[in-house]
Amino acid sequence: MERKIGVYICECGPNIAEKVDIDKVIDAVSSIDGVAVAEKYKLLCSADGKKFLEEQIKKQGLTHLVISACSPKDHEKTFMEVCENAGINPYLFQLANIREQCAWITDDKDEATKKAIRLTKAAVRRVRYHASLEKKEIESNPDVLVIGGGIAGIEASLQLTSPDRKVYLVEKAPSLGGLITNFEKTYPSMKPGSDSIKQKIQDVDKNKNIKVFTDSGVEEVLGFFGNFEVKVKNVTEEDETVEFNVGAVVLATGSTLFDPEKTPQYGYKKFDNVLTSLEFEKMNISGKISLKNGESPKSAAIIHCVGRDEKGYCSEICCMYSLKFVRYLMDKIPDVNVSNFYSDLCIPGKSHQKFYEQTKGKNVGFVRSSDVEVTKKGDKLGIQYKDENGSKNSISVDMVILAPAVEPTPDAPQLAEITNISQGDGGFFAEEHEKLGPVSTSTEGVYITGCAQGPKDIPSTIIQAEAASGKILSSLVPGRKIEPEVKTSHISESLCIGCKLCLSVCSYGAITFDEAKKISVVNEVICRGCGNCVAACPSGAASIKHFTFNQLYQELVEAVQ
Amino acid sequence: MNEKDQHTDVLIIGAGIAGIEASLMLSKADRKVHLIEKTSYTGGTAIKFEEVFSNMECSTCMIAPRQQELLQDKNINLLTLAEVEEVKGSFGKFTVKIHKKARYVDMQNCIGCNACFEPCPVSLKNEFEEGLSERKAIYVPCAGALPNVPMIDTDHCLRFNGKDKDCKACQEACMFEAIDFNQKDEQLELKVGAIIAATGFNIFDSKKAPQYGYGKVDDVYTAIEFERLYASNGPTEGNIVLKSGDAPKSAAIIHCVGRDEKGYCSSVCCMYSLKFNHYLKSKIPEIKISEFYTDLCIPGKSHQKFYEKMKETEVDMIRATKIEVAKQGKEIAVKYNNGNGKKSNLPVDMVILAPAIEPRDDASKLAKILGISVDEYGFFKEENPDISSVVTSKPGVFIAGCSQGAKNIQDSVSQASASVGKALSLSK
Repeated sequence: MERKIGVYICECGPNIAEKVDIDKVIDAVSSIDGVAVAEKYKLLCSADGKKFLEEQIKKQGLTHLVISACSPKDHEKTFMEVCENAGINPYLFQLANIREQCAWITDDKDEATKKAIRLTKAAVRRVRYHASLEKKEIESNPDVLVIGGGIAGIEASLQLTSPDRKVYLVEKAPSLGGLITNFEKTYPSMKPGSDSIKQKIQDVDKNKNIKVFTDSGVEEVLGFFGNFEVKVKNVTEEDETVEFNVGAVVLATGSTLFDPEKTPQYGYKKFDNVLTSLEFEKMNISGKISLKNGESPKSAAIIHCVGRDEKGYCSEICCMYSLKFVRYLMDKIPDVNVSNFYSDLCIPGKSHQKFYEQTKGKNVGFVRSSDVEVTKKGDKLGIQYKDENGSKNSISVDMVILAPAVEPTPDAPQLAEITNISQGDGGFFAEEHEKLGPVSTSTEGVYITGCAQGPKDIPSTIIQAEAASGKILSSLVPGRKIEPEVKTSHISESLCIGCKLCLSVCSYGAITFDEAKKISVVNEVICRGCGNCVAACPSGAASIKHFTFNQLYQELVEAVQ
Repeated sequence: MNEKDQHTDVLIIGAGIAGIEASLMLSKADRKVHLIEKTSYTGGTAIKFEEVFSNMECSTCMIAPRQQELLQDKNINLLTLAEVEEVKGSFGKFTVKIHKKARYVDMQNCIGCNACFEPCPVSLKNEFEEGLSERKAIYVPCAGALPNVPMIDTDHCLRFNGKDKDCKACQEACMFEAIDFNQKDEQLELKVGAIIAATGFNIFDSKKAPQYGYGKVDDVYTAIEFERLYASNGPTEGNIVLKSGDAPKSAAIIHCVGRDEKGYCSSVCCMYSLKFNHYLKSKIPEIKISEFYTDLCIPGKSHQKFYEKMKETEVDMIRATKIEVAKQGKEIAVKYNNGNGKKSNLPVDMVILAPAIEPRDDASKLAKILGISVDEYGFFKEENPDISSVVTSKPGVFIAGCSQGAKNIQDSVSQASASVGKALSLSK
């Protein structure tokens, strides 16, 4: 088909007109083969300008459009819409930026004009090699797989479920609830932790649209956003595997505690009456805080930051739950003496300092210390430490409670592999973006929440569960099709040498290897067109639509001529 | 409730990072969003930062694409210079009255060329730049503001305040007939199903803690002022200089300013103070930096790593109490008690204060309009943090970001997403 390229140059009021000799630009491009029309207009992005363009495209029977105006960031979308309205494919269009890149960067009109000519000619040459690209729509499954039946998983399930959306909740333990079932109370409200979770578990049980698998693990997640195939295996009945499809996955697999045996200075498992925080929670919820000999402790030490040096991060919640432990102890044993051994008190958040102020008291000590060591001292436990001035000190207590670091669960690497996401700092699941994408991951449709993403308290865990639900509710709407990226990568079957380099650089898991043909294949539904594979491919087999080697080459040739 | 009677549109108050996130998500869910912003621009406080911890990403580069997306989104009705005046009704059926001030510059016609600024005869302190630079009566707060459309400050514009009723210098400079002195304030009435309040924060006025010398001693800056000093689009184009014009040879960063007065830890100050250390070192490699702190609060999986990296720059971390800042000859004296209770005195060229995050001045007024409560500190109050920190006592009204309490960008974005999750799941 004959190409009829229309070139339109925007004056942008005085912005371009005063700095670029637009008539010279028109002269320079009018005679180029294939250019049917080259004209200027005072403001192409205005309502009149858009109407003018639409009429021109139709009247002149244009097949391609080049506009020399502002940054594509400002108006590329605007002009692509004009193309669509006028009946030409929006990808048969190129925008040359002669405002930010020519008019606004120099007072030398000649230089600005020269560059504007280059950029416009380059756009004209490039647009010849553009191909029409079509938006695709694919069916999506609105159902969701939630992995982990703790507070995060339960919250997400309850929020996601509706008559037209099923939730599959998979928990590896025999029952739902997670860690919070061990907490008599939660800070700062000091309301019963186990009661609220019990109510929520009942809500899950009653809900017909939530299918719960306990004693189960996820074996396989294949596919992409909107269309994942899942295999779940029940661990008590060896062979029972259930398969189903979902559109999104929420990882809410929680955390575990650093093993204090790895820091032998704290005497854990060496001496009686040295407990981890979780062991102490379990003892407390059973109703009685007691020593091995059955007696109530008269004194206790809480050691903060156990394993912090080894892990390399602050676990966020230990200072606050240590304060809660002080309250547990004072409630059950009113005359008990409690000493906190800490380095920095980390109690961010609006109500936490008040909680701290109200926990301080005559029987409660806060010792800023380092080099803390637990020893046996007769019937008691000795705590040796260096105080703020570096002098050595010691006290003896009946009971020691350790606040170990929060760390990812042992199955985190396996789950990351199954769901095709990565692990970041501390081995926690890596979010898509530290600031703007805290619950999304590099795999679209896979979300991370709660302590699986990083140490956090219950309110923050709930927030993340709600946030992941929000992401899913807003993007995976029942009955709505999803539109994948149009400018995707393509790997040429004949050029691919099967080196698999592209597989290792793809951030989205969009490339698979066809073992029969020994070539890499791009799944265009998953591909987001980042170009990593194109840069890595040694044989020139990978290319990105709308940014093909030839398109870029043609543009460049003209620009540097 | 009959589903047909329900309004599906959502009102979002505040076009900062949280409000933008919530708007874009709701639009994706095919909801129409009315985004109300008090100022003339989007992006909130986060666009004042040059870089964000802990990956030191350029903040404006991070946020600008979202602001652009917002402006081009047909489901989002952005109303700048607008405030909520009245809210009536209940979840699913709110009627909201909005007062929208005239910008006097047409959003469609203006192309953002800035030609109108220069001829304006008025010059005054630019609030966005914390008063560190000047602006005109027709202005955008900073280069790169979005929408890139100026506004006329009628308090200072000679035409509007009556000092020169015939002045039309800006109008004459505009080639696009974008300046319209006849624009009028508007009263709008919106019908919405749900409301998300994401109105952000103020920082504690350091003058209320006079021991730090703010406002009395030269070269004592607040954190936000210092952010602007370092910002490439700020008053010094990113050059960190003293009043004298020289680069500081030493600086003290003082944490926890106003913490005692406010009664809470503001969560973000330790991290951004460490970031400042990086700012200073990257511009002035030989500078000597001392950070005065009480407890280092750097929770989260990535933050300690950042701290370790900052320590490599040989910053002096001083645990101190009873800090006082005073003028001492040409320098500034930072007097303090160290960990042993011993009194010390450190002379420095520049002091940067990390003031507490506090609720906005109008938080309680807006809370009253919305029918929600504020907590003892004045932040919007969640009904029960054990259930959800974005749900308020008023069904259908949700809260997000620093208007609920001091937090970093990540947690603000999480809360914004969570409020959308709540709004969508409760109205499905």
